[in-house]
Amino acid sequence: MSHTELVVWSAVLIGLVFGATGQATGFCLLRGLANCWALGDTRKLRGFVLAMAVALLGSQTLAVAGLVSLEDSLYANPAPSWLAIPLGGALFGYGMALANGCGARALVLLGSGNLRSFVVLTCLGLAAYMALSGVLAPLRIWLEGMTTLALPTHDLPGAIGAPAWFTALVLGGALLAWAFSNAAFRASPRDWLGGLIIGLLVPAGWYATGVLGHDDFEPVRLASLTFIAPIGESLQYLMLSTGTRLGFGVSVVGGVIVGALAMALLRRDFTLRAFDGPGQMLRSMAGGTLMGIGGVMALGCSIGQGLSGLSTLALTAFAALAGIGAGARLGIVGPLALSKN
Amino acid sequence: MHVARPAHYDAARRRLLRGIAAAVAAISLAGLATPALAEGPWQRLEAARSVLGDTEPSTQGLVLDLPHVSEDGASVALTVGFDGELADDDHISRIDLFATANPSPEIATFHLTPLSGKAEISTRVRLNETQQVIAIATSHQGERFATAREVRITVSGCLMRNGGDQPEPLSNPRVSIPSSFTPGQPEAVRTLINHPMETGLREDTNGEIVPRHIVERFTVRLNGSTAFEAELHQSISASPYLLFYLSPEEEGEAVFEWQDDTGASATHEASIKAG
Repeated sequence: MSHTELVVWSAVLIGLVFGATGQATGFCLLRGLANCWALGDTRKLRGFVLAMAVALLGSQTLAVAGLVSLEDSLYANPAPSWLAIPLGGALFGYGMALANGCGARALVLLGSGNLRSFVVLTCLGLAAYMALSGVLAPLRIWLEGMTTLALPTHDLPGAIGAPAWFTALVLGGALLAWAFSNAAFRASPRDWLGGLIIGLLVPAGWYATGVLGHDDFEPVRLASLTFIAPIGESLQYLMLSTGTRLGFGVSVVGGVIVGALAMALLRRDFTLRAFDGPGQMLRSMAGGTLMGIGGVMALGCSIGQGLSGLSTLALTAFAALAGIGAGARLGIVGPLALSKN
Repeated sequence: MHVARPAHYDAARRRLLRGIAAAVAAISLAGLATPALAEGPWQRLEAARSVLGDTEPSTQGLVLDLPHVSEDGASVALTVGFDGELADDDHISRIDLFATANPSPEIATFHLTPLSGKAEISTRVRLNETQQVIAIATSHQGERFATAREVRITVSGCLMRNGGDQPEPLSNPRVSIPSSFTPGQPEAVRTLINHPMETGLREDTNGEIVPRHIVERFTVRLNGSTAFEAELHQSISASPYLLFYLSPEEEGEAVFEWQDDTGASATHEASIKAG
């Protein structure tokens, strides 16, 4: 098997596990934030924070072991845009609130029979490619060019002057401690198992592209779990597959849908669901579009920046995460919260 | 005045109209037919015409494989191969690649010999906008083949950046060669070397033109005789990658040599074993 085939198959496997886990556990940043702010139930949010800690510690272990160099990933940008990243994060966060879940969650729900997610995903993929290379790309590139910030360093360890392993241990330890500091969370294996498994998939992604995909002559770009550009790329792949090559991101997307479908059938949880009315559909379309544009501007989604980006300790991940949190808060608590219909 | 016209007047007018219609149809048919037969995109490119001379290339047999859409014009994977019919004692001896809309259209010229075994080459090229890529193959006995492929290049600012320190030009030559060859069985050889392949068109951060600095020639010798040679131009991506075939007749030494336009060169030696 060639190294590119190896990357594709491990990506499918990572996607299958993500889809099945997401379907069974309801792993979702938006649900976590909404439950926390509206009901005071922090279990889902702690599940996401646990995934962050596991992704961070696992990925930094790979880096310390010399298996992958995370500064080759797109998150380690020494000259990011100070505006596009947090603003994109905020658009993404607000879109996630409108659409009732992020792009990855929409893939899982689609696998469980939720046809509303199909609309979200189509709008998301279309908007992502509009911003990446289509009609909105010149505007995005102009905006990024105007607001480029040359940083002396691209990651947190460089900024605070501490070694990466030490920063990862302190930050990862703090996230772990907070996640498990709640008895209700410890008593909910669904939530901590979900966080643990999905967290582990991030270093698995680095390993697949960085170690299995390593080839002096035809290098595979270092990447891990991320969903915005890959959802757009998947739409493009469906239309242009004869002229393009199957990569890591598209294979993960396919795996997630199939994994979620298999788990939904296994748990007898597969139900076709559609919109109740045009208002709901409009919300989903707007949410998908905002997630697509925002995700491209921020270089990643709640998973791409929140887990994969964070696991590299890149500064852009913290800026994007702050934006996503702020955008989601605007959409869930207000003042821009919209009613469910 | 013309209250009533004689019948033959109308008939004459109708004949005239029919004649004009037929003439228009004939002209437009001729106009459609001629370029469709003769005008490949290679006829519109000066550099390609100079390779073709007066001959009309066959459009069958030469295959160019490129992605339809590429997000990174700095490095587009390209494979050119010949699987058409040739006389038994003939072989493809030269393949030229052109990018119609690059500042200088020449991408590379490959010289093949019977020791190459199989006319198939992969590399990575620079395409600065959506355009057609042209390949022209010439056989030892002068037969010519041509093909073209459209590639769409999209922008993607967030995926490109200049990462850290550039490696030393002509450092770290890498060659992947099969552990043994079976006579008459061409095997793929992959090569890569660090080199910026500066186009001479780029400005540095101070607005000054970075001088042209490229690998110009790559040669493979089997026991002293040239088996494969490549002339490279600015449209080859940084750190030139080449995949080609070798079919050695006997055991011995293979020498790979890269020469850049400053006169510097790097070599790599490998031994050829029969399996």
